[in-house]
Amino acid sequence: MSKLKNAVLGCFSAASAFFLAVPSVNAQNPPKLSDPEIAHVAVVANKIDIGYAEIALQKSKNAEVVNFAKTMSSDHQAVINQAVALVTKLKVTPLDNGVSKKMMADAEKTKAMLHSKSGKAFDKAYIDNEVAYHKAVIAAVETVLIPQAQNAELKELLQKVDPTLKAHLQHAEMVQSNLK
Amino acid sequence: MLPLLISCNSGTSTVGNPHSSTDTVEIRNMKFTPDSLVVKKGDKIVFVNRDMVVHCVTAIEGDTWTSGALPTGALFTLIAGKSSVYYCAIHKVMKGVIIVQ
Repeated sequence: MSKLKNAVLGCFSAASAFFLAVPSVNAQNPPKLSDPEIAHVAVVANKIDIGYAEIALQKSKNAEVVNFAKTMSSDHQAVINQAVALVTKLKVTPLDNGVSKKMMADAEKTKAMLHSKSGKAFDKAYIDNEVAYHKAVIAAVETVLIPQAQNAELKELLQKVDPTLKAHLQHAEMVQSNLK
Repeated sequence: MLPLLISCNSGTSTVGNPHSSTDTVEIRNMKFTPDSLVVKKGDKIVFVNRDMVVHCVTAIEGDTWTSGALPTGALFTLIAGKSSVYYCAIHKVMKGVIIVQ
């Protein structure tokens, strides 16, 4: 029972990291982030999913899971590239912050959980985490990052990323149902 | 940046019809717009990727064709041969249909 509890907590820890990153944060009381901090959070969120994909590409033998992981790696790198190009153009330096730090710390726990699994158990843990993670990131983008972005181009980039995240979530849910 | 023109015929029709028309399907926000087209055999359908991620337009029912990897800004021209259902082979939740009358 404790192993199951740990697996569930591991799957959801990264997903809920954003809203737990600041004490008493919820959708009604979101953290206040500057544009440099928003840019940093956006890059970190994408890097985290690339990290998860790299583990899946090492460990999974399931063709659907591998295809999904390759897509995550490619797409999230494309988003990072767009974000880097924008901050370079705007001469903004992404600023590390408490939210980013918490996300990265929790991602390390999730990665450790993923590394501890193999076979079908790994595939399920990876996809379950992808579903939860994308739900959390979509909520963060829509309720915090987009509303709080001051720069119009940064806001527009986040708005353009939102449909990609939603398509990822749909794709993850499709793979999740096929694994059952 | 000029869009990269990539053409790949279906193999069912390779001769352009001087009376054919051209329709454009935009790939934007992870959707095909429009996602349903009614065309005549020999019409051109130009898919253009307006997203920041790579897509790959591929028939899954009715016909056999694929654009291959389409980076941002790239075009894929299909000469309409048979009715087909297609999707993005990378993002399999993205689907569309071409009805050839």
